[in-house]
Amino acid sequence: MSDDASTLRAAWMSEAAPSKDDIRKAAGRVLDKDRVDRLRERRLRIAGVVALVFFVPVLLWAAAHGVAPLVRGAYALMAAGCVAAVVAEWVYLGWSKRALPGPDDTLSQLQRTVFMLDCQQWLARTAALWSSPVFAGVVMICVWLYRERTAAGAVTLGAVNIAAWIGSGVFTRRAAAALGRRRRHLEDVLAELDGPS
Amino acid sequence: MTTAQDHTTRFAELMVEFERPMRRLCGAYATRGVDRDDLFQEIFLAVWRALPAFRGEASTRTWVYRIAHNVALTWQARQRRRDATESPLTEDTSRGAEIDVRRLELKRAVARMPPGDRTLILLWLEGLSAAEIADVTGIKAATVAVRLSRIRRALQPHEVMS
Repeated sequence: MSDDASTLRAAWMSEAAPSKDDIRKAAGRVLDKDRVDRLRERRLRIAGVVALVFFVPVLLWAAAHGVAPLVRGAYALMAAGCVAAVVAEWVYLGWSKRALPGPDDTLSQLQRTVFMLDCQQWLARTAALWSSPVFAGVVMICVWLYRERTAAGAVTLGAVNIAAWIGSGVFTRRAAAALGRRRRHLEDVLAELDGPS
Repeated sequence: MTTAQDHTTRFAELMVEFERPMRRLCGAYATRGVDRDDLFQEIFLAVWRALPAFRGEASTRTWVYRIAHNVALTWQARQRRRDATESPLTEDTSRGAEIDVRRLELKRAVARMPPGDRTLILLWLEGLSAAEIADVTGIKAATVAVRLSRIRRALQPHEVMS
C-alpha cells in the first residue's frame, strides 16, 4: 500500500470510537423496528384473511339471494373485486419483501430490486383496473336504488363511490410514479456501477 | 446459530465490530444526521434479518459490507427527491476544534461521487482488497483495480482539499 493510500485510509478512519451504551441503544432500536415491521405485515395479512373469510362470503350470499338480478350481479362483482384486491395486496407485499436488500453482491441485488420494483409499479399502475369490480358493483347498486327506491340515496352513494374510485386511482398512480422514480434511479446506479472502467 | 439467544448475541457482536465502519458509510450516503441514523438502523435491520441464513460461506466482513451497500443504494433511491433540496454534509461542525479537516474534506469528496465510484472507494477506504471489493459488488477484480486507480487519483490530497 502506498503512502498516499495509507494517508487516505488513516484520514478516513480517524474517528472517535462510540460508547458501549450507544451501541446497546442502537441495537435496541433495530430490534424494536423489526418487531414493529413484522407486526404491521402480520396485521395486513390478517386483514386480508378477515376480508376473504368474512366479507367475501357475505357478498357471495348477497349475490345469491339479492332482491333483483342487477343487485345480485353487483354483489358478485364486489366479491370478485374484494378477492382481487386481497390477492393483489399479498402479491405486492411478497414483491416488497423480495425487493429488500440482502447479502447478495451489489450487481445481483440491484438487478433483482429493479425487477421487483418494476413488478410493483405495474401492479400499482393497474390498480384502478383490478379494483374496478368493487366500484362498478356499487354503481350497479346505485342504479337499482335510483330505479326502485330513492334518487337522493342513489346520487349520494354514487358520488361517494366515484370520489373513492378517483381517490384510490390518484393514490395508486402516485405510488406507481414513486416506484418508477426509485427504479430509474437504481437502473442509473446499476448502469454506472456495471459500466466501462 | 441454533437459538434466538445465539442469534441476538451474534448480532450484538456484529454491531460492536461494525458500528464505526457503518457510521462512516452512512456519513457518505446521507447528508443530515437524522438520515444517517435512519440509514444506520436500516443497515443493521437488514443484517439482523439476514443473520439466520448466514452460514459463513463468505467472510463476515464481506457479508456485512454487501448488505450495507445494498441497503445504502436502495435507501438513497427512496430519499433522492428529499436530499436534492438539502444542504451538503455538515456532520462534524458541531465538534468545533476537534474537527479533522482532512477527514471532513475526504468525506465531502466521497459524498460528491457518483454512486458506483462511491461504493468502490468506500470499500477500499475501509481496507478491503480488490478481490474482496469484487466479491461485495459483483464487479470483476481487474475492473475494480482500474476504477480504483482512477478514483484514488481524484482523491489525492491537493484534489480533496481543493
